[in-house]
Amino acid sequence: MKRTGILFFPAFDWSLGDSHPEREERLLYTQEQLFEEGILDLPQIKQFSPRVATMKDVLRTQALFPNPGAHTESLDPHLISAGSSLLLGEAQVNGEIDNGFVMARPPGHHSGATVWGNRGFCSLNNEAILVNYLRARFGKKRIAIVDTDVHHGDGTQDIFYHDPNVLFISLHQDGRTLYPGSGFVNEKGGPNAWDQTLNIPLPPGTGDEGYHYILENWVLPRLQAFAPEIIINSAGQDNHFTDPLASMNLTARGYGRITELLRPDLAVLEGGYSIEGALPYVNLAILLALAGEDYHHVREPQKLKRTTLTLAALKPYIQDLQKQQQTVKQSFTIQNKPYFPKGNWISIPHSVYYDTEGFQETRHDYVRECSNCAGTVYIESRRYTEKSILVRIPFEACPICEQAGYDLWDHLQKPNEGFANGMLQNQLHDKQYLWNRKEGLMEF
Amino acid sequence: MFNRVGIDVGGTYTDAVYFHNGRIQHTAKVPTQSDNLVETLMNAFDTLKISDEQEINQITVSTTLVTNAILQNRIPPVKLLLFSGNGMKIDALPWPVTYTELTGEMDFRGREIEAPDQKEWEKLQLQRDNISHAAIVGKFSHRNRLHEEQLAAYLKQHNPSLTLALGHEWGQANFYRRSLTTYLNLGVSDLYHQFAQQLQTAVSARNIQAPIYILKADGGSLPLAKIRPIDSIYSGPAASVLSALTQTSSDASSIIVDIGGTTTDIGLTLSGAPLISSKGAQIGDFSTLVRSLAVRSIPVGGDSVVRTKDQGFIIEEYRLGPACCLGGDRPTPTDAMRYLKLIDYGDEQLAEEGLASLLPPEQRTPQLLHDLAAEIIDRVVDRIAEAVDSLKREWKEEPAYKVWEVLHPHENKEFNTIVSGGGARGVTTALGKRLKTTVQLGAFSEVSNALGAALARPTFDCTLHLDTYMKQYRVEETGEQGKWTGSLRPHREVEGFLETLVQQQVAHYGIEIQDMEKEPFDFFPIVQNYQTVGQIISGAVHLRPGVIGRVQE
Ligand SMILES: [Zn+2]
Ligand SMILES: [Zn+2]
Repeated sequence: MKRTGILFFPAFDWSLGDSHPEREERLLYTQEQLFEEGILDLPQIKQFSPRVATMKDVLRTQALFPNPGAHTESLDPHLISAGSSLLLGEAQVNGEIDNGFVMARPPGHHSGATVWGNRGFCSLNNEAILVNYLRARFGKKRIAIVDTDVHHGDGTQDIFYHDPNVLFISLHQDGRTLYPGSGFVNEKGGPNAWDQTLNIPLPPGTGDEGYHYILENWVLPRLQAFAPEIIINSAGQDNHFTDPLASMNLTARGYGRITELLRPDLAVLEGGYSIEGALPYVNLAILLALAGEDYHHVREPQKLKRTTLTLAALKPYIQDLQKQQQTVKQSFTIQNKPYFPKGNWISIPHSVYYDTEGFQETRHDYVRECSNCAGTVYIESRRYTEKSILVRIPFEACPICEQAGYDLWDHLQKPNEGFANGMLQNQLHDKQYLWNRKEGLMEF
Repeated sequence: MFNRVGIDVGGTYTDAVYFHNGRIQHTAKVPTQSDNLVETLMNAFDTLKISDEQEINQITVSTTLVTNAILQNRIPPVKLLLFSGNGMKIDALPWPVTYTELTGEMDFRGREIEAPDQKEWEKLQLQRDNISHAAIVGKFSHRNRLHEEQLAAYLKQHNPSLTLALGHEWGQANFYRRSLTTYLNLGVSDLYHQFAQQLQTAVSARNIQAPIYILKADGGSLPLAKIRPIDSIYSGPAASVLSALTQTSSDASSIIVDIGGTTTDIGLTLSGAPLISSKGAQIGDFSTLVRSLAVRSIPVGGDSVVRTKDQGFIIEEYRLGPACCLGGDRPTPTDAMRYLKLIDYGDEQLAEEGLASLLPPEQRTPQLLHDLAAEIIDRVVDRIAEAVDSLKREWKEEPAYKVWEVLHPHENKEFNTIVSGGGARGVTTALGKRLKTTVQLGAFSEVSNALGAALARPTFDCTLHLDTYMKQYRVEETGEQGKWTGSLRPHREVEGFLETLVQQQVAHYGIEIQDMEKEPFDFFPIVQNYQTVGQIISGAVHLRPGVIGRVQE
């Protein structure tokens, strides 16, 4: 029996559109199921009420471009979802609960280091905001995130790609067959955080048995080797065999077993859009597993009709994937701009598509190669003709990287440099600054 | 102006208050003869010296009868038959009674997942086991009562004398609580009906024709014949909150403290409305769906024994006779109050001797005795303050399920404190300091429950749950389930529908209602394949607990 916290925030008055998967109805039947079971009467369960995350909490982790003011109208539900994660995370760290489940809408794992809008139903990354909150406020050093949503947790990966102290593991349906189209084994982290990102793309049709096999034989050993202080599970439920957006074959009990194997300190709901066939049962199974109760009687009414990959068929695929993953070698391009401070700056260009509103963000990321810290990060981000800059001085930055960050930040604001706005994310001192050529500097 | 009688039938005393033309005319306190309630009640009526029985508009009664029967385990056995379905293992929760699980399952929309198995029913053998009462409860029966009714029909056919209760009549979610509530309500029904009869007999014997109302746990009153027996639990604490309401302005926010011999009840009103518990009432080992006021009972009172421990003292949860100053032999908070001259009853010398026994002989100086007495009172006040904090948290930390609710949290309120009961005068100053509020002494505190009962208004709640796709509607409070024949996406139509339901129920209860509070409707579009195919709609009206008048001393 575990003291388990639950924060249930179904955002019954919010949707991304009338018939959008992310709509009011999404957690309605989950509520019916949980309340009818009497889950809140379990002596070890404690219910928490939500709280709103502050802008500082957000900016510590994500840059809102071109400025936070451009987002405020649409941000409320996301701030509550993020704040709810913070609240339960805090309760866990304080020892008020052993573990917890943030069952809140909207989700967050497609939201990355820079945010121009909503993508993949996400505007703010709830888990990432939590991770950095626990580091800044509670001095936590090593945290692992295991993303069991069917979609690649590309936003979370983006945020921690250069961070050697956050292990990010994502299991998902192969990006060649599903949104967002990323999450391949060669994405293993930046030069200072090589091998701290692990992507496990799975073939459509993977079921309970296969999934558990991968957890036991690949994910758990990797977790154990990393020895995190806290494990966070991005608990998306769209691997369920009834999910309308994906093609995997997990059951509610399968999810219970995932939870039992991972033993997360905190599970945070991500996707899952089979709102009647899966969510009430999967949410129940996860919660029971967290609370140390028997989840084997949780049974979704529908029967599995799709064919599931046998373990025999899956094993060779996994072995092959593991081999591929291990053989990927670092190959990074050094590209020093004239105004870059001393050192080798690794350039990683990429672009991000915002499907909700249909536009493209073009990014040039640079990270200072460093063997003493996570390295200062410099990101140029463009949407149409707008350009914004993020400078990040990482947690536990070495003095040289710290200075590099300040130098870049100063350069940006010089009169003739043509930058209009930017953000300094000083994680080392937990300070966030926004700068705008017209309005000047603002500190958080 | 109203003419009303309020009666509180307690375990030891029966209290009564008679209001004539809106003013208290007489009060009464008579011993409760548990083996002769009729006589007890007639005594109470006689003591009230009612001038004209025909003028009385209403009699309202609060009673601990049902509460005590449950707490003392005096209810006859009920066979509990459950359609428990899949999901959480049923024994994950603590069941204070035994049950039999049967095949048959519904889902959250009220769709049948698995039909019942008649062969199981044939093996039930209720007659052989001499079972006279059975409760049938299904998981999600508040969405579809079909299985409950099928089994009930089967059992009735084989055993017509069987008394049955069905769970869906408790229409809120929570299978566990619904099961226990159905069980208890059936278990106490004979006892309650017997009480109702005695009450009626006594009233008729005194020539009173006024309708009799019973006070409920939520602080509302309903006609004797319409109330569900289990709803009468905890009407004592509810009455004491109502009694405080009669002594404040109609929009005041108050902390209500009622100090008894060994327990102190604490309640909260917010802008004139008592705080309702977000969960149902807990009674003994039973978790129920009974709506009740949020009240904390803490095991400390004027007669609690104070005992030395380590270097100091502790206040025990029990009493061993009266306070020293009233002839007992154990020091109590009452002695501390007497010693400090905060109360004027009891013997001062005996109080001092009692307190002195808590100190080593060399420390029994006036100064140290004074300090000790003050500390005892502070300790009592600390316990009260903790309970007040916990109530305020319950109010402030109500779970929120909408963005709007999170962005509009409860605003802070300016509270006053009303304290009544034997030791009230003794803690006034300390309580005011600790709670940082003004403190007012409750009037008529020796009959406060009867006073609260006398002036109680009815409460009324009607919560509609409508699934236009399944073409089903349900009412939480009554368990009514019916066919929806309106449109798939109703708008105005649903308001009229709820209004009609309300009118029907109000007529059924025979109550008059004003100040109805409407909750805005929630509309959930039901989407299939990106098409809206219907709506789930919920909405409610409430008449919150309150009083019909105020008292002046
Ligand atoms: Zn997903
Ligand atoms: Zn460095």
